[in-house]
Amino acid sequence: MRRASLAGGLILGLAVGTASIAAAPSIVGKAAPDFVLRGLDGRNLRLSEFRGQVVLVNFWTRSDGDSRQQMPALDRINITYQRAGLVVLGISVDEDLRRSKEFAAAMSVSYPILFDTGTAIGKDYYLQKMPMTILVDRSGVVRYSAVGFRRGDERVYLDHIRELLRE
Amino acid sequence: MNLKHRIVSIAVCAMLVSAGPAIGQTPAPAQAPPAADTPAPPADAQAPPPAPDAPPAELKTLDQEVQGLKKDVVDLNKDLFVLQEELLFPANTQVALYISMDVGTFFALDSVTVKIDNKEVKNYLYTAREADALLKGGVQQIYLGNLKVGKHELVAFFTGKGPVERGYKRGATINFDKGVGAKYLELKITDRVPKHQPEFMIKDWE
Repeated sequence: MRRASLAGGLILGLAVGTASIAAAPSIVGKAAPDFVLRGLDGRNLRLSEFRGQVVLVNFWTRSDGDSRQQMPALDRINITYQRAGLVVLGISVDEDLRRSKEFAAAMSVSYPILFDTGTAIGKDYYLQKMPMTILVDRSGVVRYSAVGFRRGDERVYLDHIRELLRE
Repeated sequence: MNLKHRIVSIAVCAMLVSAGPAIGQTPAPAQAPPAADTPAPPADAQAPPPAPDAPPAELKTLDQEVQGLKKDVVDLNKDLFVLQEELLFPANTQVALYISMDVGTFFALDSVTVKIDNKEVKNYLYTAREADALLKGGVQQIYLGNLKVGKHELVAFFTGKGPVERGYKRGATINFDKGVGAKYLELKITDRVPKHQPEFMIKDWE
């Protein structure tokens, strides 16, 4: 009897959990909200100015281990595909701007790193867990979104990037 | 008459546009009937060759209809925009702020922060393209809002790179009287050549 009630509770919990995951809002299929942010080199970049190109936007935080692994992988993708029309933008959502800048400088990636200290972009893009990577197509629509990073994920990114570059 | 009639006319327009294809086109038959004026193929002929002239004419008509619909949508969008402006920013409370830049030898614009009555209403970061557009003579509407009739204070802070590529931050203030009509103000960045310095002004367009 006890086992049966435990199993029932577990199933109910799983169902609730699945429902909450399913209810999480997604930005895929929607127009990418525009933003303008200051970069590590002092230049300001606006997302809408890259209309016509495929844009990979990577939100990261300094404290997140996955971001440290992901950035070199994105750097390789940027070096290979920027001539084909890919733009990679890294966006730090750290609150500590000074440390975030130091970290970005130390990573020395070839793509621009921007800094967001507000909350508007996080809300617009439904940021929940870091790192978050999205792909925006040439017409400015979000076509792919991924949370977290594991080794091998870059192959998934590349499949999507190639598909979008071909369009 | 204005507002009510306008809303009604725009709603009617929207209905017409959405119903346009249905009204404009006769219902398409499930299968295209054979052309009446084409001679009947001989009985021993195999599959009839496709008529080369018919599809382009149909496509042309369809294309014209699509172009007409697009124009209607653009017109409707324009009307809605004007209506939205009138509703959200009525002329008796409207305040519009513009920014322009002349020459720019001594100043490279990076950002502008605008405060009205000590409350920040706008903070705008400029990309290189936007700053270039201003230098080429562009005028940007940086803020559109509402203010009560009476005296107000506007403060604008300009951040960028000044002479010798140094960080540069300056402010400009204007006290203005908001009357019953719309108020137009312009932030002007010019070069003061004798002093080798940029100059920041706020002009009140009466």
